[in-house]
Amino acid sequence: MNPDCPLEEHVSRRALLKGVLATSSGATVANWGGLFASPARAEEVKQNQKRCILLWMNGGASQFETFDMKIGRPNGGPFRPISTNVASTQVCELLPKISQQMDKLTVIRSMHTSQIDHPQGIHLMHTAYSEAANIRFPEFGAVIAKSLGHVGSSLPNFIKIGSNGDSGSGFLGPKYQPFTMSHDGRLPTFAQSSLAPGIESRRNELRQFVEDQYAVKHHVETAKMHREAYERARRLQSALKTFKIDDEWAKYESLYGDSFFGRNCLLARQLVEAGVPFVEIGHSGYDTHADNFTGHKGLLPPMDQGWAGLLTDLHERGLLANTLVVWMGEIGRTPQINNRAGRDHYVRAWSTALAGGGVKGGYVHGATDQDGRDVTSGEVKEGDFFATIYQALGINPSTEHFAGSRPVPIAPFGSKVVRDLLV
Amino acid sequence: MDHSHRALTWLALLAAFITVLPPLARAGDPPLRNVIDTEIAKVWSREKIQSAGPCDDATFLRRVSLDLCGLIPTHDEAKAFLDDSATDKRAKLIERLLDHARYGVHQSDEWDMVFFGRKPPGYEAPHREGFKRWLRDSFAQNTHFDQLARAMLKAEGNTAEQGAAMYLVQYDRHPDDAAIAVSQTFLGVQLQCAHCHDHPYEPWTQRDFYGMAAFFARLQMVKAGKTKVDDKELEKIYLAELNTGDVKFTGSAKDAKPGQKGEPVKPKFLLASDLEEPDLTAEFKDEKRIPDGSPPPAPKFSRKDKLAEWVTSPQNPYFARAVANRLWAQFMGRGLVHPIDNMSASNKPSHPELLDAIAQELIAHQFDVKWLIRELVSSQTYQLASTGEVADAKPQWFERARTRPLSAEELLESWRVATNFEVVARRKPEEHKGRFYGVTFDYIRNYFGEPNNGVGDFQGGLHEHLYLNNGELGRLMTSEKDGLIDQLLTSTEPWESRVERIYLAVLSRLPNAAERAKFADYCDVQGKDSQQTRLQEAIWVLMTCSEFRFNH
Repeated sequence: MNPDCPLEEHVSRRALLKGVLATSSGATVANWGGLFASPARAEEVKQNQKRCILLWMNGGASQFETFDMKIGRPNGGPFRPISTNVASTQVCELLPKISQQMDKLTVIRSMHTSQIDHPQGIHLMHTAYSEAANIRFPEFGAVIAKSLGHVGSSLPNFIKIGSNGDSGSGFLGPKYQPFTMSHDGRLPTFAQSSLAPGIESRRNELRQFVEDQYAVKHHVETAKMHREAYERARRLQSALKTFKIDDEWAKYESLYGDSFFGRNCLLARQLVEAGVPFVEIGHSGYDTHADNFTGHKGLLPPMDQGWAGLLTDLHERGLLANTLVVWMGEIGRTPQINNRAGRDHYVRAWSTALAGGGVKGGYVHGATDQDGRDVTSGEVKEGDFFATIYQALGINPSTEHFAGSRPVPIAPFGSKVVRDLLV
Repeated sequence: MDHSHRALTWLALLAAFITVLPPLARAGDPPLRNVIDTEIAKVWSREKIQSAGPCDDATFLRRVSLDLCGLIPTHDEAKAFLDDSATDKRAKLIERLLDHARYGVHQSDEWDMVFFGRKPPGYEAPHREGFKRWLRDSFAQNTHFDQLARAMLKAEGNTAEQGAAMYLVQYDRHPDDAAIAVSQTFLGVQLQCAHCHDHPYEPWTQRDFYGMAAFFARLQMVKAGKTKVDDKELEKIYLAELNTGDVKFTGSAKDAKPGQKGEPVKPKFLLASDLEEPDLTAEFKDEKRIPDGSPPPAPKFSRKDKLAEWVTSPQNPYFARAVANRLWAQFMGRGLVHPIDNMSASNKPSHPELLDAIAQELIAHQFDVKWLIRELVSSQTYQLASTGEVADAKPQWFERARTRPLSAEELLESWRVATNFEVVARRKPEEHKGRFYGVTFDYIRNYFGEPNNGVGDFQGGLHEHLYLNNGELGRLMTSEKDGLIDQLLTSTEPWESRVERIYLAVLSRLPNAAERAKFADYCDVQGKDSQQTRLQEAIWVLMTCSEFRFNH
């Protein structure tokens, strides 16, 4: 399947609409796979569909306490490096579980980005663009939802769980707005119907009659879209169980670790398995201007376990090959340690990590100097980073969307794909 | 393309423009509404297109009420209009709506979307109550559009008390963004490509881009205390203009070198001459920054004022056409140039003579917005039906009315009218303070606010329907006295008549036989409580269906 061309363009609109309408009087399709005539075809699409999970370290995790340690240097910090399951690579001792997943990771030590403060950085590292006064850029979750999503899905194509950034779908429109859950797994406002099923379906039957009356004389696309979106909202009601992990939790608690982050990692796995192309999970507290070391000592272990659990689980289910897992925050932290034992904001040289679909495992890209002040090789700017993510997902990074008549490429003009880290 | 060639192209364009324009309107000329219908019909016969024919009274009433005042008619208004047998009732209705208190509110809601848009990212843009009040008053008083634009581009007064300055304040320290926005909004020209390179297929160059940006290079915000507007404390921000300062141009972005210092660029009117400005810099020592605290002094020479005068001049080759095209699109659902803000040689109008005629008449009427709106909605073109087979296949020929989504504001106001909540709330003003009591306006604005896909086409969203299905519409369907539910429950009329009331109240039309029977059957149950539940469901159905969601 060519991912530049979304599924909805391959399956005719009429067929999808029929699939939707056939179920509108009560029975609902559990997921998008139900729209395909043969289960084998559904399975094939499910296996080959690219997906992306973003683990968002809000506030900006320290590269020195994770993937770019500067042992023995004055500002290196107190932690020790540990070996990983890749011979030449070490990581911080605060990441013991991830150290055993290093063979699945590409670490980028040479990020160099342009926005040093949180709101601007959050915008930049969600959209690939700096904020502008006259355009609202879409988050890359929305771009991926548009490129890889399914029009007939019962589930939203872009889900954010306890994370940051409010650019949403920007100019791409309401169809790609994120479905936003809180960090404790609560569904967004108005996601659930409070009506008894009997009333719900009786009311819906009357509504159907009214829509049919209108459609007799009005043959406009807009009204069809209104009907489709309504049916999606209804089908979501019966798919809400996909957002619950309680039944599975006992089995997976030891893998993912008992934390909100761990639970959300399991939820993300469940969602991508059900066909959701983009899920973002937030983990907050990394803005360690004071007590950077105790901060990371508290923050990293549950994150480490959730992340490693996710990679293990995706791998065991055969989903990792098509699921790109992105780990990043909006900024890195300063090489200098300030007088409150903190590290401040830094974007000249910092680290991110990728795993799974489309990227190499056990690979470290780029390097910084001995104190981590500057990138010495393999510099990756924000645009290059996003171009690489899109490329890994099989989406052409020069794809343009339109804000009015203004073409806006998904990765900024001039961005380069970092080919070295792609398989 | 070299510059002399470019200049020649421009002269040719200008010459073409001047010869195409008809002479100024004179007394005895046909009113513009007739010119519109003649020009539109001319193209139908050229293209061999069958039009949809005129819309019925109920459709017209709902359409024009939404377009002029941003809400649907009440039950009583709908009934009175449909019962009225006067032949000039549509014209009378238009006059009544143009004078309606809601006219200014609605037109300013529409234009706020042009000047700011939903969730504008610009500086202080979320706190623009002062601007909104100014815009509302301007439309209510029918301030002519050139005056309105001049006030914004000259940034008159402060952002809180006068308001207009807010437009440029949103582009604080971003002269490039200001140049893009002003060109797009007031001139209908897309300049942003020329930010980084000469435009590949339009005449404008990077020099044009930086020349426009230079007009905004010297602006600086000055904060002068706070004041209250509509119960909100707002910063009074002035837009000062320094006497020195330039934008720097380093050439094509792809050839740019790190650390390269650019050349200062002089202001230049788009595709026209450089701005002539007195040379101050030799003997003038400029202050670096104008301090906050009090209104700033005027500069010795204001670049932005010169730009404001050039933009809004009747001689400006773009302005009148851009305004005409926007107003046309607002009422007809699509610009004569589409998209509306991309007027260029490579994107020609569907009806060039008509666009020129409207622009010329707009100039002759000194940019009188209310006059143009009256002509537009009085035309037969506006009053076409939206029904029929070909749907959107040939939208550029305006052979039928287009189906347009209601804005967030229109939806909310219309829900309140439909349920008579408007009347209930008026009785308890303290309890129902604020514009949108009873529904969560922020949610609606976020998820219904911009229901399009980036190029102006409607796009249904999941969140919209989650609200419709699971949201708070029930709160409007109160059983309090005078609410629609109360009227229906206390009525002794047969259910068929009560269904008529529901349809008139919500969809502004009478039900057909099938609808009457279906709804009567649905609501005719035993017991007041059951009846109330059924009525709420029935009203909910009509308030969430396509017929309600769109203006058609």
